[in-house]
Amino acid sequence: MENMKLKLARIEKGLSQQELADLVSATRQTIGLIEKGKYNPSLNLCIRIAKTLDKTLNDLFWYETKE
Amino acid sequence: MKLKNKKTFLLDERNKQIAYKVISIMYFLTYFAIVGILLYRQFVIGQELSDYEDIAIILTINSLFLISALLYFGAIPIRRLKVKSILLIYIVLVVAGSLFTYIKYNIFQTPGLSYKQLFGKLIIIVAITGLILGFWILLSFLGKKRLNKEIE
Repeated sequence: MENMKLKLARIEKGLSQQELADLVSATRQTIGLIEKGKYNPSLNLCIRIAKTLDKTLNDLFWYETKE
Repeated sequence: MKLKNKKTFLLDERNKQIAYKVISIMYFLTYFAIVGILLYRQFVIGQELSDYEDIAIILTINSLFLISALLYFGAIPIRRLKVKSILLIYIVLVVAGSLFTYIKYNIFQTPGLSYKQLFGKLIIIVAITGLILGFWILLSFLGKKRLNKEIE
């Protein structure tokens, strides 16, 4: 499932995937895959991303499951 | 935006995960290839142990340390060390070792070993299996202790 919240937060902050990747010590591909929902990042990386984008983990990574 | 990271070679957690997975798969492919080569040389070509002793030693040490490391670092989750389970594992290992020895000496070799000689081999199997199992139990105990210490 695509992580649109992360993508929007990144764009809102005016960052490209590469720039965000550099800020959180990851590769552009990793950020791209997280946004596409094809890679589950570790909690440490989630926290680094959230802090960089001035968001909480809930803002970026929480989603409601449909019953 | 000024770039913070200007490294040309960056290994992030995803790269590491992929690398570990590829290394593990390649390790096991190599491992089973070597086992296959050993079995082929031993049973098909019928070479003497001295012809492939070096590979056999490396493979044995490798297998022992692989299981030891898995036990010590907690990759094999053992909730509780039960005497019954340990005994069962011990018996299975001894039976497997004895069967392998019997097949090796009395089916693939003529003339085969006498019962007295086979019994001599069985004693060695029983003793070595006991030592190895004891070593593994000790390591899993120490590993568990280390992990508990880290949690405290």
